[in-house]
Amino acid sequence: MNTKTIKEMGWDELVIGAALYSFEGDINYNVAEVLPEDRHYSETNSKMAYVGDWRVYKPVWNSELCIDCQNCWLYCPDTSIISRDKKMVGVDYDHCKGCGICVEVCPTNPKSLLMFAEQEKNEEALTQWPQKTKGE
Amino acid sequence: MNKKIMELDTVEVWDGNMAAAQAFRQADIDVVAAYPITPSTPTVENYAGFHANGFIDGEFVMVESEHAAMSACVGAAAAGGRVATATSSQGFALMIEVLYQASGMRLPITLMQVNRALAAPLNVNGDHSDMYLGRDSGWINICSFSPQEVYDMTLCSFKIGEHLDVRLPVIVNQDGFMCSHTAQNVNVLDDKTACDFVGAYKAVNSMLDFSKPVTHGVQTEENWHFEHKAKQHSALMGSTKVIDEVFAEFEQLTGRKYNRVETYKLEDAEVVIVALGTTYESAQIAADQMRNEGIKAGIIAPRVIRPFPLEELASALQNVKAIACMDRSAPGGTVGMLFNEVSGALFNTPARPVMSNIIYGLGGRDMTIAILCDIYRELDKDAKSGKRNGPLQRFVGVRGPELGFYNV
Amino acid sequence: MSNQKEIKNLKSFSTAAERFEGAHVLCPGCAHSIIVREILNATNDNLVVSAATGCLEVCTAIYPHTSWDCSWIHIGFENASTAVAGAESMHKALKRKGRLDPNQKDPKFVAFGGDGATYDIGFQWISGCFERGHDMMYVCLDNEVYANTGGQRSSSTPIGASATTSPAGSTSYGEKKNKKDMLAIMAAHGAPYVAQVAPNKWKDMVKKIQTGFATEGPVFINAMSACTTEWKFPMHKTVEASDLAVDSLVFPLYEIINGTELNITYRPKNVIPVRDYLAFQPRFKHLFKPQYEYIIDEWQKRVDAKWDYLQRREEARV
Repeated sequence: MNTKTIKEMGWDELVIGAALYSFEGDINYNVAEVLPEDRHYSETNSKMAYVGDWRVYKPVWNSELCIDCQNCWLYCPDTSIISRDKKMVGVDYDHCKGCGICVEVCPTNPKSLLMFAEQEKNEEALTQWPQKTKGE
Repeated sequence: MNKKIMELDTVEVWDGNMAAAQAFRQADIDVVAAYPITPSTPTVENYAGFHANGFIDGEFVMVESEHAAMSACVGAAAAGGRVATATSSQGFALMIEVLYQASGMRLPITLMQVNRALAAPLNVNGDHSDMYLGRDSGWINICSFSPQEVYDMTLCSFKIGEHLDVRLPVIVNQDGFMCSHTAQNVNVLDDKTACDFVGAYKAVNSMLDFSKPVTHGVQTEENWHFEHKAKQHSALMGSTKVIDEVFAEFEQLTGRKYNRVETYKLEDAEVVIVALGTTYESAQIAADQMRNEGIKAGIIAPRVIRPFPLEELASALQNVKAIACMDRSAPGGTVGMLFNEVSGALFNTPARPVMSNIIYGLGGRDMTIAILCDIYRELDKDAKSGKRNGPLQRFVGVRGPELGFYNV
Repeated sequence: MSNQKEIKNLKSFSTAAERFEGAHVLCPGCAHSIIVREILNATNDNLVVSAATGCLEVCTAIYPHTSWDCSWIHIGFENASTAVAGAESMHKALKRKGRLDPNQKDPKFVAFGGDGATYDIGFQWISGCFERGHDMMYVCLDNEVYANTGGQRSSSTPIGASATTSPAGSTSYGEKKNKKDMLAIMAAHGAPYVAQVAPNKWKDMVKKIQTGFATEGPVFINAMSACTTEWKFPMHKTVEASDLAVDSLVFPLYEIINGTELNITYRPKNVIPVRDYLAFQPRFKHLFKPQYEYIIDEWQKRVDAKWDYLQRREEARV
């Protein structure tokens, strides 16, 4: 079925009242009890949008140092720290704006999240990880 | 239908406010959120009385201002149910931004507007300044001229606004005091018939439908706004089809025929008054008197002022020689709305009647049959001479020197 | 009363399935977003949410995208509270008339508004909703200015803050009026529960939010929202700004139950001088000029007096 994207629609095809649906079609589940990967997001849900280009610096996650405290998950303003089953999974680079809060609240020494230049490859960044700092 | 039925006579004696309140009761509204203001207060008080005596199953919320009344109506309508309120004048002016928000969000709401002058100076009596204030708000706008029509149009308003091809809020106007506080015979429907006519509410994008979470009231920037306003205008313009259907269905049910343009003795009329509200009925008596004097007088009224019946008005007025557009609203530095819109309708047709604009009845100043007869006689002079014998716009009925504007 | 899910610790909190999506256009580091996530993640109930015109609304519902995985409405600036009150009334009516699924649990009605919408332009509307006793929660996201339009003063703007319409200048130290005490005002409405929260104390916030959701009637939550853009601290220091606010007692965390039972819910181990809180934010930097230092002293006195008052009320149970 060839359905138009919203950007291709004329005034006559848009939903009345400029209303936006969060999901495709009808859902028969409680959204709060279904993980995002199992939901059927509509194209008009901001989850499907990209703000990664806001970044100048990006957080890189070092899974070996991480203790899964969930601070970064808690304080990310952009729902960009992904946690599953009480364990850190990674950074959602489509939605991360590079604010750096996750790095600030990371309690490990050295931190398990650090900011690197956007162009830096994550694998490279991980090789440049600082050592444990004394006296903190 | 509300569980407790009210037994009514086939003909009741109701003023316009009671007619509105009864129509509200019979329409089985889910939420009425309202605030009192003269002269619409009795609509709300009557409804409160019904509620206190068990005749209303829905919610009745007395809020703290008219802006809050319409805001609560919008929230309730978006939640997915039948909603209505009543107001006038200052209250209408206070809620004006929410009116635009309601129509932009395409939410069916019925507003009983008991027309009253806008301050300053402060005045509680009937004129159309509040009706005119709302003309661009994107609401369907229907006028009723008597308590019977208030009852009938209010019942129709829900059916029209909630129709899936329309989904727009509807204002039903009536003259403050002259209609709202004047009791007349009203032929009524029994509760069940009335409720069945209005029909069950159909939900669209309801916030209480958790199978389809929806976001209402977004921001649209310059790359989207135009499309949504175009869509809204298109729906408002296209609602004429549904209005005609509902009026036809209503006629089938009651024998009372309503039209988007009402006319009286227009078929052979040479001189015509355009007027809304209770003036229409006074003009009917004046027109009959004129006919006895040999003047071919007629009346035309756009009962539905929005969507404006431009084509129907234009075609009905093709053979008329002189027209007085009577506007019951302070004109604010130009000619009145009816003058503008009727002239505009006629401009692209061959007809070139002598047009004039009469400002009258502000703040409840009476428009008498005698004055209407004089207006017809002036029109007759205009028709016979083929030109106007005075300024384009005249204030009629005001004490002091002649007041007129635009000598074209 | 409604049963809210149990959240034992941060790890179990992190298993929440997010209903506030990313790629909204709030500033990087915005506390509004942290607060909204904490609130929405505190419950699994169906939600009907409204927002007043302001940062949250504009940035999360800008066509053609919505960041809300729940029913949501924006009407205007004043009426976020009345919007959900109307929805709540409709819910009552439809439930009574038997038009809702009888197996569906009652949703929660939550209105969000900034301090502009709450303290100023929407004040009457909130008052009306609370007087009528709707079963709803109102959350004020308090960043102490009209942030969305560039940082104009509101009646929440504290003394000495430089806002664009109360700027610091050669003859002015910025805002001159004291901040309105919204919690006292809302408690005086007879609201069954009002509370002040801050996003850095997530456990305190979640506990209060869950209490609010479990309370029948109108609940008012004042959430301290440190604004990197308008308070002008670096965007990665939002949590630190919040820490300073609660640890200096500028933003004390407490709740009032039924208007009389006041409970302080956070007592900092080390109370930080107000001076340090002010020094952190460039919107106060002019107060450190010699001619305005007295304002910092007055600030400390005010905060001390408020803290003393809160403790006395907590003890007296009035």
